[in-house]
Amino acid sequence: MTFDPKAATKEPPKKVVFRVKRYNPETGKTWWDEYEVETYRGMTVLDALLKIKEELDHTLVLRYSCRMGVCGSCGMIINGMPRLACQTQVAEVASEARPVVTVEPLKNHPVVRDLLTDFTAFFDKHRSVKPYTIRKNKEELETGDMEFLMTPEEHSELYEYTLCIACGLCYSACPVAASDERFLGPQALTYVWRYVADPRDEAWQERLEAVDTEEGPFSCHFAASCSAVCPKMVDPAAAIQRLRSALIKYRMGLYKKKKIARKAEPPKEFKERKPLPPEAKLVEGADLEALEKEPPEIPVDSLLS
Amino acid sequence: MGEERVKARALENRPGWIASINPWVLKIKNNPERVAFVLHRVTGVLMALIIMAHIFVTGTPARVGWEAWVEEISKAHGITAVTLYFFFFAGIAWFHGLNGIRLILTEFFGVCIGKPEKPKPPYLAPSLKACQRRLLYLVFALWAVLWVLTGYIVFG
Ligand code: HEM
Ligand code: FES
Repeated sequence: MTFDPKAATKEPPKKVVFRVKRYNPETGKTWWDEYEVETYRGMTVLDALLKIKEELDHTLVLRYSCRMGVCGSCGMIINGMPRLACQTQVAEVASEARPVVTVEPLKNHPVVRDLLTDFTAFFDKHRSVKPYTIRKNKEELETGDMEFLMTPEEHSELYEYTLCIACGLCYSACPVAASDERFLGPQALTYVWRYVADPRDEAWQERLEAVDTEEGPFSCHFAASCSAVCPKMVDPAAAIQRLRSALIKYRMGLYKKKKIARKAEPPKEFKERKPLPPEAKLVEGADLEALEKEPPEIPVDSLLS
Repeated sequence: MGEERVKARALENRPGWIASINPWVLKIKNNPERVAFVLHRVTGVLMALIIMAHIFVTGTPARVGWEAWVEEISKAHGITAVTLYFFFFAGIAWFHGLNGIRLILTEFFGVCIGKPEKPKPPYLAPSLKACQRRLLYLVFALWAVLWVLTGYIVFG
């Protein structure tokens, strides 16, 4: 998903109507509620929903935690597009011409109540792909002193995929997951590729063989909606194509992992750490303005030697 | 009191096969690949149906004789049911074939999908700005051009 860094500086319409899709699991009824919310500059959709919950309707159910796009709890469909509510400015989705924001629970995840969706199946799929490093020699992972060597180039091949926060937006956007509940989905398959591409992981053969099923990358049809909604620019669509391509090559006997990272030797000698001189520390209550006018000398040379 | 508590149940919330024929069940921005996915699926199924019809049609001479067949076919000029059917079939096949090449490149060979990058504003995923996107626009453009050209041949 692309973000407009200036969105938070924009003024949203003074009053915005939130159309929220509700669901009551006891009666099995689904309906839409409308709430008019007074906005302010910098208000996110999550802020607005919490305001509704505090001031207008205490029965509204939603899930959130960090409020800053890190935990991946607040995924919902805002104006038809899966987004993180805490990362969506009201000014981005409501305009003076149309001061209405529709909010629905994520698709493809069962709805527990209102905007709260059940991620059990989603996390089961995540768990099923073994989202952790596997080494043939288990001790290498169990002893705390280990470190595996990899080059910055190798790291850049997979760094993007490690940023996943498991918010489930990609799974909600996927047209294959929409009709096939067994499909592992973009999130889990991205994790498979992330470990197949990771030189520190040794189980690439097992991983490739485990996803060589109907639920695996062959069910993907590259609609790329997962990449279009991902709030962390993880690009699951590309990861799945790489995984599928590697799997095809592997089955033809043409794919081999380029390199398995070896464990770094423990350092032979330890340098003693010098304590910072008092000038280098920020003192509590320091006069920053005065410091800016007359910056204190930091003895860089003596620290480096 | 004494009321029996109604059992709570989660709502199954999948759009189902509708997502295979309507690219706008969700209003996702910057995602023409999804339109192509739906078109590819719909044209694939239509082609399978048309090929079955085609087998029936090519069996006609065996039933009515060659003369009657040639006479009927020679009438296929201008806008008739037969030429319209050819025209629509051509459109369907052009899109499926052209987009199929793009999908073989991306899905089978894993090329044209960009390189992983470090996220930076405006946080656009590499695969959405890679050469597959330019190929997709090329597919749409060629599709229009070739379909119009086929129209000239079929109706001419
Ligand atoms: C020029 C020849 C063709 C090419 C290059 C081609 C290419 C492809 C490719 C690459 C796919 C996989 C798409 C995906 O993963 O989403 C596909 C799917 C499909 N094709 Fe073709 N195809 C061709 C001809 C045909 C014909 C003649 C038929 C009909 C009998 C057909 C019916 C289908 C169907 C039903 C699908 C499944 C679509 C889906 O699941 O989304 N194709 N084609
Ligand atoms: S509340 Fe944590 S991601 Fe939105």
